[in-house]
Amino acid sequence: MASVLFRNVEKTFGGTKVIHGISFDIADGEFTVLVGPSGCGKSTLLRMLAGLEEISGGTIAIDGQVVNDVESKDRDIAMVFQSYALYPHMTVADNMGFSLKLRKADAKLTADRVAHAAKILNLGPYLERFPRELSGGQRQRVAMGRAIVRDPKVFLFDEPLSNLDAKLRVAMRAEIKALHQRLKTTTVYVTHDQVEAMTMADRIVVMHDGRIEQIGTPLELYDRPNNLFVAQFIGSPAMNIVHGTLRRSADAAWVEAEGGARWPLPASVSASDGQAVAYGVRPGSLALGGGAAAVPAEVIVVEPTGAETELLVRVGATQIVVVMHGRTDTGPGETIALDVDQASVLVFDPATGAAIRT
Amino acid sequence: MSAWTLRKVSGEAKLLLIGIPVAIWTLLPIYHLVLFALSPREQAVSGKLWPDHPTLHNFSMVFHEQHHYLSHFWLQLWNSLLIAVAVGAITLFVATSAAFAISRLRVRGGRAIMNLALFTYFIPAAFLAVPMYKTMSSYGLLNSQWSLILAMVTIATPYSIWVLKQASDKLPLELDEAARIDGASPLQLFRLVYLPLMTPSLVAVGTYALLLAWNEYLYAFLLLSDDRSTTLGVALGSFLSADDSPWELLMATGLLYALPPAAIYYAFKRYMVSGLTAGAVKS
Repeated sequence: MASVLFRNVEKTFGGTKVIHGISFDIADGEFTVLVGPSGCGKSTLLRMLAGLEEISGGTIAIDGQVVNDVESKDRDIAMVFQSYALYPHMTVADNMGFSLKLRKADAKLTADRVAHAAKILNLGPYLERFPRELSGGQRQRVAMGRAIVRDPKVFLFDEPLSNLDAKLRVAMRAEIKALHQRLKTTTVYVTHDQVEAMTMADRIVVMHDGRIEQIGTPLELYDRPNNLFVAQFIGSPAMNIVHGTLRRSADAAWVEAEGGARWPLPASVSASDGQAVAYGVRPGSLALGGGAAAVPAEVIVVEPTGAETELLVRVGATQIVVVMHGRTDTGPGETIALDVDQASVLVFDPATGAAIRT
Repeated sequence: MSAWTLRKVSGEAKLLLIGIPVAIWTLLPIYHLVLFALSPREQAVSGKLWPDHPTLHNFSMVFHEQHHYLSHFWLQLWNSLLIAVAVGAITLFVATSAAFAISRLRVRGGRAIMNLALFTYFIPAAFLAVPMYKTMSSYGLLNSQWSLILAMVTIATPYSIWVLKQASDKLPLELDEAARIDGASPLQLFRLVYLPLMTPSLVAVGTYALLLAWNEYLYAFLLLSDDRSTTLGVALGSFLSADDSPWELLMATGLLYALPPAAIYYAFKRYMVSGLTAGAVKS
């Protein structure tokens, strides 16, 4: 178990800078998720921590020791790859015990550790099988078993669930989280899937174009995104963004969108009358109603999922997604009124993307 | 019978129409080889489809070295075997190490060296025979079996490296990375992960080099002139130096000489096909 420190970490591939001076800390035992769209540098950052990519600038430290010039094998880390990377010619037990074999560990100790890991992961019946005889989920568990047997300072996961089908992904997500709660090993987990990030992380690092957009707990990112990118990246369905002009009167504020719709705001918003803004409202913060400040909308599509109903509606020129609990009998073409939960509304500067305090 | 099966049958018929003549064409010389080998001396060129009194006498003469052309039969067979196995083993060692370095360790300039080695195939091996003779002579290796072994390794290696490199490239790079994180040194990676996964290609390449050396005539003839050090292939060639050559003995020896390659080929056929075509198509 160990802390991990990134200090002004940079990566250059043949003259192209892909990581631009990243700094953040991971506390001992923390489950940190690096998330971002593909090409944002999250995997590169993880591979630099693993020692699979050289660090072009800055330092990375594990457990207080700078590891820039330390070989992968001496960093005391274990990594789970997206492709599992199991040795096809070895049995499950040999795959899991390989690292200890290389360290010339006692055979008894190796067998004990493998058996222990197999018990945690329910792999007991498969120890003598070869990877090709296992399903995708079992292979992924073997890859995790290989990491557990190491008892490393840090676990690294590189998009470990991307090759699994949707149902298995949800199951494995819970397994990995349970594993972390049990072992409490510092974990760095890379994914492009914000749902994985939200459900698993203690803290999320949102990356974009080789830079950190925001670091925080899942709910911090959800409730108080620093900028438009984070606001739209975190949360599913994504936040609705309406572009318009801020208007205020003596005791009220609203955003006037193209097409004349008026989106209500708390009067405390720190922006002046006439300022161009991007108005952000999450699909769940909208409800069917008819209050004084309700926004009229035309229903385009109704998607019932049982417990919730997702509505695609048009307000002025903008399409808006609404998620409501329960069911509705409205249909396409009908006009409804949307109540806005003003406390959860966010406003951004459309030029810089930065959040404006409300 | 549906149209589909009809089409399938007619397709197979067409293949047979081509295949049968090709098979006959290929087997005809071998048939004559067998015919000669089983005929008594006086009937060897009688032109019959099958000898009146087939005999194994020719083989017995070969085994007992009862002709002056065959006075070192067993020794020369042993030489052929020794040289072929040595060429196979050394080629494998060199080519596997090179392919690992080029494909997995990504040694700088590795690809350029491989292409340079392949470039040597632009010059036919026969043209290189004399320069090779001169080189071996200046190292004092003439008449030493090492000269032939080294020459054959030189000829077999570029292609072997290329085949093995193509096969190596198909192994996922994550395996190497996982092994590195697991604590493997490059040598451990080579021994514990790379070699086991490359086995089919290794068998194919080893067999290729072995058969290349076994069947070599020109270089063996040039580099090994002593009857006691040369290969059986060269000894077979010397039958042709006389006017009244014992054809039936030449054919019997030739048949024996063809058996080990055939056995090796059938034993490793499975690997040959998958190994030599590996890398040919993008999977």
